[in-house]
Amino acid sequence: MRTLGATAGLALLLLGAILASLALGDANLRPMQVLQALAGRGDELARTVVWDLRLPRTLVGLAVGAGLAASGVAMQAFFRNALASPGLLGVSAGGALGAVTALALGGAAASVWTVPGASVLGAFLATGAVVLLARRGASPEHLLLSGVALNAIFGAGTSFLLALSAGQFQVSGQILFWLMGGIENRTWEHVWIGLPPILLGCALMLPLGRAMNLLSLGEPSAQSLGVDVRRLRWQLIGLSTILTALATAVGGVVGFVGLVVPHLLRLGFGPDHRRLLPLSMLAGAALVLLCDLPTRFLPGGMRLGVMTALLGGPFLLWMLRRNPC
Amino acid sequence: MLTAEGLTLGTRLRDLGLHLEAGLMVAVVGPNGAGKSTLLQVLAGLLQAQGRIHWNGRELSRIPFLERGRTLAWVGQESHAEFAFPVREVVGQGRHAWGDDGQGVEEAMAALDITDLADRPITQLSGGERRRVFLARALATGAPLQLWDEPAASLDVRHALEVLQLAKRLATAGTTLLVSLHDLRTALCFDRVLVLDRGALVGFGAPEEVLTPELIHAVFRVRACLAPSLTLELPS
Repeated sequence: MRTLGATAGLALLLLGAILASLALGDANLRPMQVLQALAGRGDELARTVVWDLRLPRTLVGLAVGAGLAASGVAMQAFFRNALASPGLLGVSAGGALGAVTALALGGAAASVWTVPGASVLGAFLATGAVVLLARRGASPEHLLLSGVALNAIFGAGTSFLLALSAGQFQVSGQILFWLMGGIENRTWEHVWIGLPPILLGCALMLPLGRAMNLLSLGEPSAQSLGVDVRRLRWQLIGLSTILTALATAVGGVVGFVGLVVPHLLRLGFGPDHRRLLPLSMLAGAALVLLCDLPTRFLPGGMRLGVMTALLGGPFLLWMLRRNPC
Repeated sequence: MLTAEGLTLGTRLRDLGLHLEAGLMVAVVGPNGAGKSTLLQVLAGLLQAQGRIHWNGRELSRIPFLERGRTLAWVGQESHAEFAFPVREVVGQGRHAWGDDGQGVEEAMAALDITDLADRPITQLSGGERRRVFLARALATGAPLQLWDEPAASLDVRHALEVLQLAKRLATAGTTLLVSLHDLRTALCFDRVLVLDRGALVGFGAPEEVLTPELIHAVFRVRACLAPSLTLELPS
């Protein structure tokens, strides 16, 4: 009953966030105007604003939030550690390096697909490194340390390219903006790159909740209870890295969502992954959309990644103080 | 019936073979590093070793995962838990291979004296309480082969005796149990004793025949003598 209430509450919150994301900005629209524009009626300006600017932005934000939160749940179950997050294995950093390389080479001007494409490529190269390590039977602790190394290597590459582009004001600005994460100026191409595969990844992850419960209490005991742990490990690493790669490709580096959302929901609704997964997807999507709203009115530096960290960090500290794990 | 032939895993297990009838309660003893935990993990299919293991004539590695979850239950030494699952849910995980039907969960909790803890998060329990939760989870599987790695470690004297009594009840009902332990006096209460030393089987049989002062001295390097000692029993 409590779970049903929470799901309904979060679904309502997400609906509200979607509506606000479609209505608010340089040209504020009333809810009725938004609904009319969505139905293809009403005045042309509202239709253009909703369909060409805000709907792609909203859908990309929804995909980024749901994908990162689901990825966080999977990582935390896999590593049996509430501090694990999607960025941990170096996948986000790989995606960032890919995108930054494309930006530094002037790829942003070539096509709207270039930067997300390069980001996906970078993230998948990082995924490849992770998979190679996992195939050799690396323990979660081993993978975690490998992630630290990969993060350092990709981070160094990104810093190098950023320093190299320091003279080119426009390029370095693009790189910085991308590294801080954001979903403004998203187009329908970004929606097609991000939304369908992320929703598919989330859907594929949902049935794994039961096995994740067993895994999070220990791999050997999960296997002895009938879980194909090897297969589950592959599924979780695969889905989690793909979700992170795609979210990074269309939204830049948005930190904290994958860490803070599952953690807070676990404190509120317990650790059962069958509940935690859908709730995290809803809450992650709502959090990204709500954090995106103030960036439309605040100075340029207040990017999405800054907002998620500024809101999520103190909230997590407050929750931990109230309810220590 | 459980049979194993030529089990070898580096220097941890050396050409070990055994043959156990159903309904036997077997104590696995040996010094630290003798291979007790390794043997139980190999028998549970958690570690890959050379050799063959058959359960009722079927090769264990060929039994599908879910069916294996109904066939055997393993309780390891580690009882750390990161996430705050309520005790009842953890014990209920024992029914994973049965489609989470919840059967026997309350009985398993009662048998391990954890009914009062059912709604408590496992992270808030003591080491001994947690051990009893994992034993209850193994019991809830209803598996006819139970592999328990030092179940009495960190248990108080009453609960240790209750676990022993539970093992006896299970064996009487036809369950095969392999239980690793350090207390040789407890091993005397088992149907069979299996003695390991540096990965090799050095003794197997009825406790009074196997646990001779000579073997105890050779394996554990201590002198064994029969002397009046404190005897503890559960009140009837």
